Amino acid sequence: MKSKKVALILVVFFVTSFVVGCGGGTPAPDPQEPTLRVGMVTDAGTIDDKSFNQGTWEGVLQARDQLGVEIRYLQPSGTTEADYMREIGNLVDAGFNFIVCPGFKFETSIYEAQARYPEAKFVLIDGAPHDGEFNFLVADNTVSIFFAEHESGFLAGLASALQLEEGQAGFIGGMEIPPVQKFNWGFQQGVTYANENYGTDVQVQSQNVIYQGTFDNVAAGQQLAAQMYDRGVDVIFAAAGGVGVGVINEAKSRAAAGDDVWVVGVDVDQYDEGIYRDSESIILTSAMKYIDVAAFDMIEAELNDEFPGGETLFFDATNFGIGIPENNPNLNADVEQETAEVFALVQSGEVVVSDQLGDLIR
Amino acid sequence: MKIRFNRDYLLSLIAVILGLIAGAILMIVTNNNPFEGYNYLFRGGTMNMQRIGNTIATATPLIFAGLSVTFAFRTGLFNIGASGQMLIGGLCATAIALNVSLPKILLLPLMIIVAFIAGGLWGSIAGFLKAKFNVHEVVATIMLNWIAYWTVYYMVPLYLKAEFLETESRRIPSEASLRIEWLRDFFDGSYINLGIVLAIIVAIIVAFILDKTTLGYELKAVGYNRTAAETAGIDVNRNIMLSMGIAGGLAGLAGLSLYAGIATNMQIGVLPMQGFDGIAVSLLGANSPLGVFFAAIFFGLLHSGKGFMTAMTGIPPEIADTIIATIIYFAATSVVVDRFLENRRKRRETK
Repeated sequence: MKSKKVALILVVFFVTSFVVGCGGGTPAPDPQEPTLRVGMVTDAGTIDDKSFNQGTWEGVLQARDQLGVEIRYLQPSGTTEADYMREIGNLVDAGFNFIVCPGFKFETSIYEAQARYPEAKFVLIDGAPHDGEFNFLVADNTVSIFFAEHESGFLAGLASALQLEEGQAGFIGGMEIPPVQKFNWGFQQGVTYANENYGTDVQVQSQNVIYQGTFDNVAAGQQLAAQMYDRGVDVIFAAAGGVGVGVINEAKSRAAAGDDVWVVGVDVDQYDEGIYRDSESIILTSAMKYIDVAAFDMIEAELNDEFPGGETLFFDATNFGIGIPENNPNLNADVEQETAEVFALVQSGEVVVSDQLGDLIR
Repeated sequence: MKIRFNRDYLLSLIAVILGLIAGAILMIVTNNNPFEGYNYLFRGGTMNMQRIGNTIATATPLIFAGLSVTFAFRTGLFNIGASGQMLIGGLCATAIALNVSLPKILLLPLMIIVAFIAGGLWGSIAGFLKAKFNVHEVVATIMLNWIAYWTVYYMVPLYLKAEFLETESRRIPSEASLRIEWLRDFFDGSYINLGIVLAIIVAIIVAFILDKTTLGYELKAVGYNRTAAETAGIDVNRNIMLSMGIAGGLAGLAGLSLYAGIATNMQIGVLPMQGFDGIAVSLLGANSPLGVFFAAIFFGLLHSGKGFMTAMTGIPPEIADTIIATIIYFAATSVVVDRFLENRRKRRETK
């Protein structure tokens, strides 16, 4: 028993001494350095998710190139509040005092962090800090940003219906969370608007509105898309992260075989993801949120000492925070023209898109 | 027996060093300085009270999961279902936490018992299938993982969801959380919680059951040689179910310490990685409760230091994850090291 203990102590000793012995290294960065150090903590999923994380990161990258800030991102090992707090703490301890966090899952972590690290500034995208009981508080060192996903989905739905003229549209969502729901509801309203005002005949049947339930199950996305296309759906709006990748894959293989199927992308312009032959893509258009612009704007504001701390910002049609891509090779010119006209109506408030379920499908 | 233990720990030590060397090579290949990297990795897990607390807290579910795998392993069973058992244990404990109002001193023991029983019943399903129909427990537990995953997926939104969110349970109130104020203050705002105390107690109990009781002896006998144990009059089927039950119960406690200690609520759509890391913890810990404890602390250190290493050195997070995984999987290869040494010894003897 005694020798067992000795052996154990030796194990611990060797391990620690090995690790400690490796010390030295560079000194900690000087916090007085003039350049702003911008950190980002990723949400569930990777930095190259072609969607939310990547969109945010591209804004940060742009800030590095144009504004000369130093940047770094960390990827938490889980999605609990503790995981997020740990990575935020790591960034602060390493001198990254401007932290961008994409996703509503950060709400409670930012609530805690904004109080614990008053010297740091936080940008929370798609959420507002609260204490877990939904008592919201945006502190002076935090900005909370929301997007009008319903308006974005509306425009994409409108453009899809105008382009198709007749047929069926479907929706595949990731988890049933507010931003995804709003994309869905907006999309349905957009299709309906086209039917009522432009004489198109595009239907959304309730069996073709599905939330897969995750953001990473590529195979399931492919399977759901296959079922929908088999049921005669012509275009699927996939607001589903990695599940959407599966949807795009299915559409690509069908298009390569000569089928006439389409996908509407989400968050960023996904045209390039949908290319199946030369420069032909199955992405009809994309329901975009200018996350990169939001992230970049906040960094720029901070550098100009204009950081809107304590505020909750809404990015919608009026400030060009959402929309469809500038170039949509798969849309006819008149469709783009008509969509732009309706976009102006949404901006002026003549057309109001609801962010509620109402009598829509789910 | 004494010599055996020494040898096991030596093997684990070699495995850890091999892992660290493999990680270092990876850092060199990716143009980073391994000394710097390991320095920040270690400091990230230990440089102040808060980080020490976080390291211990991160290790807590790993201790339980490691004990779960160890218990099954010592009795000849391979429990890959710790993740699923964690989910079920955590789900039931969360249900109690959100729906029963009792003083903390009564509520916590109730949650502990419920988590243990729920995880245990889930685990013993695989035991039952093995005993009755000879379904291999590896297959059964992997499948049960996904049944647990989808069970949580439907149960949380149905009964436990928060007002505005479909994908998470309500927040566990502080009366039902393993987190306690003074421990948190002592560790400077870390998410350390009572789970570690429970883990130490449970590790001692497991060691006692395995080494000092008839039950443990019988369970191990079944593990060593099922047929011989049967001939000796041991009820093999009962023991297989019991063993998987206890292993499942231990994993259930891992779920409790994760969902009511580290996390503050239960999210759907996540299969906890700790269940799988528990296999590596168990292997590195040479399948002994004490070894599991230290192996889990080591893994906790890796996990909680990783982010700081990335933040300080510019080693990309993906490479950092790979480094950690490399260390973990090398560390779990002590069996291979054992074989290697054994073969060399034999070869020398035959010469």
